[in-house]
Amino acid sequence: MWNYIVRRLLYNIPVYLGIILLLMALLRVGAADPAYTFLGKNAEPGDLERIRQQLGLDKPFLVQYFHFLWDVLTLNFEQESWGRPGRTVGEMLSTAYIPTLMITVPGLMITATISICVALISAFNRGRFADRILMVAAVVGMSVSFLVYIIVGQYYGAFQLKEWVGTEVFAIEGFDMEKNGFISGWLTYCALPVIISVIVAMGYDTRFYRAVMVEESTKDYMVTAKAKGAGRRKVMFVHMLKNAMIPIITRIMTTLPFLIVGSVLLEYYFNIPGMGNRLLGAIADKDFPVIQTFTAIFAVVFILSNILTDVLYALVDPRVRLQ
Amino acid sequence: MKPKFLRSRGAKKFFRSRIATFSLVVIGIYAMIGSAVLFFDVISVDDTLQRVGPDSTPMFGEQSLEKRLRDVDFQLARLDTALNKKPEDVEPAIAELALAERTISTKPREELSAEIERAWVSYDTLAEQKDEVEFEAFDAKKAELKESGVEDREEIQRIAGNAADASVAELVASEEFVSSLAQLEQIVDDLYAPLTGWSAKLYDLRRSMGTDRQGRSIAIRAIFSIKIALQIGVVTALLSVIFGSLLGAAGAFYGGWIDHLVVWLYSTFSSIPSLIFLIVISYRFIGTEFESSLFPVYVAFCLTFWIGPCRIVRGEVLKIKELEYVQAATAVGFGKFYILLKHVVPNTMHLMFINFSLLFIGAIKSEVILSFLGLGVKNQPSWGIMIRDSAPEVVNGFFPQLGAATVFMFILVISFNILSDALQDAFDPKHVS
Amino acid sequence: MWKISRSVVVRALALATTLSLAPQSAAALPTDPGPNGKDLKVVQLPLRSDAPKTIDPGRGSTTYDNRACSMVYDTLLQYSYLKRDPFVLEPALLTKMPTPSEDGLTWSFELKPGVVFQDNECFPGGKGRELVSEDVFYSWKRQADDRTKAKSWWLYKDTIVGFDAFREEQNAAEKAGTGFNYDAPVAGMKVIDDHHFQVVLTEPVYRFIWLLAMFQTSVVPREAVEHYGTRFSRNPVGTGPYMLDEWTDLGMSFVRNPTYREEYFPTDLQDGDEEIVADLSKGKRLPIIDRVEYTFYKKDQPMWLRFEEGTLGYTQVPAENYETAFNRRTKKLNSSYKRRGIVSADVPLLDFIFRQFNMQDELLGGYTPEKIALRKAIILATDFDEFNSSFYNDKNIVYDGMIPPGLDGHPNNEEHRAGPEYRGKNIALAKEYLAKAGYPNGAGLPAINYYVANSANSPEQADLTMRQLGEIGIELNVRMMDFSSLIEACDNKKAQFFSFAWSSDYPDAENNLALFYGPNQSPGSNHANYENEEFDRLYEQTRSMQPSDERTEIYLRMRDMVLDHAAFAGSMARTRSYLIQPWLRNFKPTEQFYNWVKYLDVEESLRE
Repeated sequence: MWNYIVRRLLYNIPVYLGIILLLMALLRVGAADPAYTFLGKNAEPGDLERIRQQLGLDKPFLVQYFHFLWDVLTLNFEQESWGRPGRTVGEMLSTAYIPTLMITVPGLMITATISICVALISAFNRGRFADRILMVAAVVGMSVSFLVYIIVGQYYGAFQLKEWVGTEVFAIEGFDMEKNGFISGWLTYCALPVIISVIVAMGYDTRFYRAVMVEESTKDYMVTAKAKGAGRRKVMFVHMLKNAMIPIITRIMTTLPFLIVGSVLLEYYFNIPGMGNRLLGAIADKDFPVIQTFTAIFAVVFILSNILTDVLYALVDPRVRLQ
Repeated sequence: MKPKFLRSRGAKKFFRSRIATFSLVVIGIYAMIGSAVLFFDVISVDDTLQRVGPDSTPMFGEQSLEKRLRDVDFQLARLDTALNKKPEDVEPAIAELALAERTISTKPREELSAEIERAWVSYDTLAEQKDEVEFEAFDAKKAELKESGVEDREEIQRIAGNAADASVAELVASEEFVSSLAQLEQIVDDLYAPLTGWSAKLYDLRRSMGTDRQGRSIAIRAIFSIKIALQIGVVTALLSVIFGSLLGAAGAFYGGWIDHLVVWLYSTFSSIPSLIFLIVISYRFIGTEFESSLFPVYVAFCLTFWIGPCRIVRGEVLKIKELEYVQAATAVGFGKFYILLKHVVPNTMHLMFINFSLLFIGAIKSEVILSFLGLGVKNQPSWGIMIRDSAPEVVNGFFPQLGAATVFMFILVISFNILSDALQDAFDPKHVS
Repeated sequence: MWKISRSVVVRALALATTLSLAPQSAAALPTDPGPNGKDLKVVQLPLRSDAPKTIDPGRGSTTYDNRACSMVYDTLLQYSYLKRDPFVLEPALLTKMPTPSEDGLTWSFELKPGVVFQDNECFPGGKGRELVSEDVFYSWKRQADDRTKAKSWWLYKDTIVGFDAFREEQNAAEKAGTGFNYDAPVAGMKVIDDHHFQVVLTEPVYRFIWLLAMFQTSVVPREAVEHYGTRFSRNPVGTGPYMLDEWTDLGMSFVRNPTYREEYFPTDLQDGDEEIVADLSKGKRLPIIDRVEYTFYKKDQPMWLRFEEGTLGYTQVPAENYETAFNRRTKKLNSSYKRRGIVSADVPLLDFIFRQFNMQDELLGGYTPEKIALRKAIILATDFDEFNSSFYNDKNIVYDGMIPPGLDGHPNNEEHRAGPEYRGKNIALAKEYLAKAGYPNGAGLPAINYYVANSANSPEQADLTMRQLGEIGIELNVRMMDFSSLIEACDNKKAQFFSFAWSSDYPDAENNLALFYGPNQSPGSNHANYENEEFDRLYEQTRSMQPSDERTEIYLRMRDMVLDHAAFAGSMARTRSYLIQPWLRNFKPTEQFYNWVKYLDVEESLRE
C-alpha cells in the first residue's frame, strides 16, 4: 500500500506543476497588467515600471513561476498581500479558513444525514407515491438557481423572520463570534447560510444516494438476505446501508477538499470573511499572491484527499486492489 | 441515414417515455423563441431597455394605494417637465415620453397643461390629507400617552407611530380616497392616446409581468434572455462535448503518452475549483477587446466543462477498445484513426448526448452566477442579470423580476433535467448519477 | 470509517475554535473610562462600499484610507469643522498658521509643545514620546521613498527646494545597495529646533497650504515605521484623537487616545449650527466619544437597515431607499422620519463628473475646426439634466466647465448656463455641428468606443448615454470594465471617450485645472492629453497666486479655453443625502475632510 501511495504522489507531481502553471499563466499571460491597479491617481511615467519591479512582475514568467513554486515548496507564506498592505498571505489564510469551516462542515454533515435518510425512505418505497414525490421534489429543487435560494432565503430568513418574531434571529449578513459567544454567534451568522446550503445540496445528494441504494437492492446478497427470511426493514437498513456505505463515503470524501474553498457565493452574499469571499476579493483586487496561494493550497488538499479516498476505499472493500 | 443510436433500443425506450417527449417539446418551444430573437430580431436590445411604465409595477393583483399615488405623481411630473420646456423643445420631449406603444395624447398642449394642473390640485389635496391625518393622529396619541404618564420615549414613539400609520391606512382605504385616486388615475390615463388592436395587445404583453426599477418590461427582458441562455448553452455544451469526447477517446484509444497527456490535462484542470476557475478566466478578459461580448463566457465555460465528457468517454472507450469488433477491425488492417472515427466514437454517442444535456444545465446555471458577480453577460439582459438586479428589489419586498427570471429558467432547466434522466435511463441504465 | 472522518472533523473544529479565540484575547485593549468616570460613550458608524486598505498615511490614497488615518493621525493644519462655505484651514499640530516670508518662498512653522505620540511598544518603555520637527520631515520624506509604495508623491513634486533631487538620489542609492538615507539633507527642509522649522519652496505655490491639511502629510514616528516594517500599514501610531483597537474584515474600532493633545470644541458657531451642536459640547475637550466602531458595508441594504433600527449614527441614503425617506418631488423628508426626530442633511461634493475625450485620438482628438465640431456635437447631444433626474433624484448640480460649485471660478448659479454651444441638450445645434464635422446625421462616423468603470448603476447610465448620442446618429460601443482597467486604458492613451469623476483633493480650482495641464499628460491626471501652451502658461502663473479676483479672472479664461476646444462633455457635481439619528449630536456631514469624528457627541438620553 505504501508503495501505491508513493507512486500516486509521484504521479501527481506533474499534475501539481501543471496546476500552478495554468493558474499563473491565466493571471499573467496576455491579461491586463495588474500594476495599474496600484498606481496613484496622478502617476508619473516611471511609476508603472517601479511598481512592476516592486511586485516582481518585471521578471520573466518562468522566473516568477519557479519563485512561487519555491515558496509553496518551502511553505513560505510570508509574501505581503498586494491588496491589503501589511498583511501576509499566511495571516489571511489563517483567519479565513475558520468562518469557512464553520459553514461548510455543519452543512456537509447535515446534508449527508438528511439526504441519506430521505434516500432510504425513497428507496424503501421504490416506485410508490412517496418515492415519486420525493424524486420530483429533488428534480424541482435542482432546477432552481443557487442564487434564488440565497436571495429568497435571506429575505425570508433574515428580513421577514425578524418582522414576525420581533427580534433578530438570523443576521442579514456579517460574522461576529465574539459579541455573544460562540454558540449564539454561530446561530446568528452561520445557521442561515448553512440551512440554505443544505437545501441547495439536498436535491443532488438525495438522488445520488437513492440511486446507490436502488442499485444495491438488486444485488445478490439482498436476495439471499430476503431468502433467509430477514424482515424487509432489516434488510434495507442493516444489510443494504452497510454495503451502500462505500459509495456514500466516497462521495463525502470527494467533497471534503471543497470545504476549504467554501461556498463562495454564500460567503459573498452573507459577507462572511471566509476563504471564498477572500478569494473573490483578491481576484477583484488583482491580489496575485493571495489568489495563487489559496488555489495552490486547495490543489494540495484536493490531490491528497483523492489519494486518501482511494486508499480508504481499498481498506474497506477488499475486492479493490491498489495498483 | 439515421445515426445508429436513433435506431437503437435505447432510443425507442426514450421516446416511449411521455414526460421525456414532453420536455423535448418544451425545449423545442424555447429553441423557437430563442431563434426568433436571434435570427429575426423579434425583440431587440433596445426593446429590453425601453421604459414601458412607472417603476416597479407588480405582475398581477392590486397595487398598494400609496404606490398608485406615487405612480400618478411620476406620470404627471414627467409630462409636466416636458410641457414646461422651451417651446421648440416641447414636441421632441413629449415624443420621448412614449411608453413603448403608448404615446402621449395628441390633444392641444394647452388642454394637456390644464388637465395636469387640475390633476396636481387633486393630487396635492390627497397627499396633504394623508400628511395631515398622520400628524394629527400621531400628536393626539402622543399627548394622550404623556397624559397617562408613559415616560419611555421609545415606547411613546412606537405606539404613537402605530396609531399614525393605522389612521393613514384607514384614510387610504376610505371610499372617498379610493374614488378620488381612481379619478386621478383616469386623468393620467387620458393624457395618453388610446390604444387599440395589436398595439394594445403588445403593450399588455409588455406590462404583463410588471416593470423593474427603471420601468422596463420584465416580460420582454425575460423572453429576450431565452436567446442568451440558448446561445451560451448550445455553444459551450456543444464545443465542450465535442472537444472533451474527442480528447478522451483519443487518449484511451491510442494509449501511451497521448493518454498520459490527456489524463494529466484533465487532472490539472479539475484540481482548481470550477467556480474559482470560471471567475479567474472571465476576470482576465476584463479590459480586453472581447470584454463586452459573450466570448469570455464561452471560453470560461468550455475550459471548465470539457473535463466531464473527456473523463467519461475515456472510460467508455477503454472498454470499447477491448471489444471484438474493434479488435477485428484492427486485425483486418484498418487505420487507427479510421477505426476511432468510424467504430469507436459513434458508440459513445449516447454519452455525448447525456453530457450535452447536463452541461447545458451547467451553462445556464453558471451564467447566472457569473452575471451576478458582474462577470458574465454584458450590455444585454439575461436571467442572471435579472436575478442580480432583483436582489435589492427583493429586500424591499418586490418579487416580479426575480419570479419571472426564475420561472423562465426553471422551466428550461427542469426540462433538461428530465431529458438527461430519460436519456440516462434509456442508454446508460447502469450508470450511477 | 465513520469514526475516522468524524474525529478528523472534530479535531479540525477544535483547532479552528482555539485559533479563532487566540487573536481575540490578544486584541482586546483595555479601554479606560470616559473623562468624567461615567459610562463609555460609544457610537457605531458606517463605512460605505469599501474598507480602508491601509492606515499608513504614507501609503494610503483612497477616501477610506483617509477616514481611517484621520482617526489616528494628525496633520499640521486642519479644516475648521464648522466653516463650510468656503472651507477654512486652522492650525492643528501648529501653534499658529505658518508664516511665509515676503517672497512667499520660505515658510516658518511652530509646533505645539507637549504633543506626544500614542503609547506603543515601538517606543522605549512603551511610552509615546514628544512630536518634534524632525518627525514632520521624516514623514514627508517617506513619500519620496520608493519602498513606502506611496501613491501621493505628486503632492510634493516640484514643490520643495531639493526634495525632488533627494528622492532621486536616495532611491538610486537604495538600488545600488547603500540604502535610503533619511538623514540626508534637503535644502528646503530646515530644522531650527524641536518645535520650529522652515520650508523653502521652489516657487510660491499657493496649494502648499492645502497640502498641510491632507492626510497623506500626517506626522508618523520613525520608531514605529522601523519597528513594524510592512506591518506598519496595520499598526498605526499617531498623535490623533483615537487609537486603533481592532481591525477585522468586517469593521474596525477605535478608542479614545488618553494622551491626545489639548483641543476643544470650536466656539465659533455658524448659522444653523445651533440646531446641530449639543449645548453641553460647546468648549468641551476633544474627543468627546470614547469608542468609535465602524462597520464596512459593501452592500447598501444592511447599512440602511442598521440605521433604521437605530444602531448606526448616520447613513447615506442609498438610491433605492431615496423614496422611502424623501418625497421625490418636493425633496422633503417623509413625515415618518421627521416624527422620529431624524434629521436630513445634503452634502454637496466638490465634484466634477464628466465625459472625457482623448485629444490625441485619431478620430475624436485634434484641434482643427472639424474635430472641435465633432466633439461639440457629442457634447450638445449629452443631457446631464436627464442623468440628474434619472439617477440622482435631481439632487445634483449640473454646470459648465471643470470648476465645481463652491470654488472660485465656478459659474454663478444665476448665469449657470454658459453659451448655448457648451452644454446639451440641443439636438438641432448638435446635428449642425455633426454636419460641419463632415458626418451629416452620423453618416460615415465609425462607432465610438466609450469606456466606463463598472459600478452600481453604470450599465444603466451607459445605456442612457448610448440613447442620447443615438439621437443624432452617433453610435457608441460601450466598454464596461473595472476601474483599474479603465485607468490602464486612459494611461495608455487607448481610451477614446470615457466617463470619469474627479473629487477635488483640496478646495481650490487649481486641482481641477491641473487635469488639463500639458505636463500632466497620461499617465498623469491629464487623461484628456490636452495640450495648450497658453493654458499651461496661465496655469503655472496661477499656481503661485493667492485667491483674488485677478486669479479668478484667469481661472475663467482657462476654463473657457478648454470649453472652446471642447475637450470634455460636462459637468455635474453630486449631492449626497444623509440621515442622522436624533441622538448623534454635533454632526455636520462633509466629504471634504474626515477628522470630524472627534467632534461628535452622543446624547444617551435620546437613544434609549
